[in-house]
Amino acid sequence: MSMPKNLRGTGLESEDFKKGKVFTQYYVPKIEYAWDTGEAIGRYLAELKNGRLAARRCNRCQRNLIPPRMFCERCFRLTDDWVYVQDTGTVNTFSICYVSWDVQRLKTPEIPAVIEIDGAAPGTGILHKLGNVKPKDVQVGMKVRAVWKPVAERTGSITDIKFFEPIKSAREKKR
Amino acid sequence: MKATKQASIPEQPVRSWRGGIPLQSLYTAGLGGQVFFKALKERGEIVGTRCRDCKQVYVPARAFCERCFAELTEQVKVKPEGTLTSFTFSYFDRDGKRMEAPDVLGLVQLEGATTVMLNRLLKVCEPSKISIGARVRVVIRPQARRTGSILDIEGFELI
Repeated sequence: MSMPKNLRGTGLESEDFKKGKVFTQYYVPKIEYAWDTGEAIGRYLAELKNGRLAARRCNRCQRNLIPPRMFCERCFRLTDDWVYVQDTGTVNTFSICYVSWDVQRLKTPEIPAVIEIDGAAPGTGILHKLGNVKPKDVQVGMKVRAVWKPVAERTGSITDIKFFEPIKSAREKKR
Repeated sequence: MKATKQASIPEQPVRSWRGGIPLQSLYTAGLGGQVFFKALKERGEIVGTRCRDCKQVYVPARAFCERCFAELTEQVKVKPEGTLTSFTFSYFDRDGKRMEAPDVLGLVQLEGATTVMLNRLLKVCEPSKISIGARVRVVIRPQARRTGSILDIEGFELI
């Protein structure tokens, strides 16, 4: 490794650590967290366990908000009711991702997508993954449906939905 | 917008979301630490660095003077004996669990140093048995067991 001349220090490669070129301390801190879901997301996660998508309705702007929130960011007022929306929707945007969250290369890409949920306010959506589809076949505007985990495996988590898959039209199914 | 059914059944919400953050840390001793740990591991000595302008001897060794920011190149071997300047009895471990036997920690100014060093006080079970100003000696592990870590120093014992 070449160091800039005006900096003092010790250039180190990973080999140097293995060989013990410098003294080091290895430490694995145990870090745990509990994130408070809040009222809206708490209910949303509980409803996912039942296989339903729960949204909050704002009676002023007439929008159903999903993920739900107790406060309408457009009207600056509290939202009014809980409503159920469909578990189908439309791909708003997507990405074909060959790198996992911890930066490992993936042979089979993941396809994260923002899905506009049927029954919820247009132009908003939830982030999830697409499945049962080839990356090259994914399109913005594609109709998709939630594929749920079996009831016994659900935990009240967004992963209670395995992924969203394309809804094939009747004509496509025949082929 | 499609018709939606109003949700009426009260649900037990999910109150919190639990998880862990996988972290690993590899801490390098640095330029000053390298001097200190090399002397400790190879020779069983306590070494500091001197700033002549500020009349300071930093123990453990440091790469620069924290008063005048000068680079410190003069190494000083200090005596492995010194004076207790403060101590504490800790009955809780890092996770906040109560321990039967306390960890006793002491701050010690070694002879020749102008700074204090933190380590365990060995074989001390009761606060009434020690006092500030007590003379202590550094206990260093046998060479075969030294790894170049602060744990190569087992602690301080009363003289």
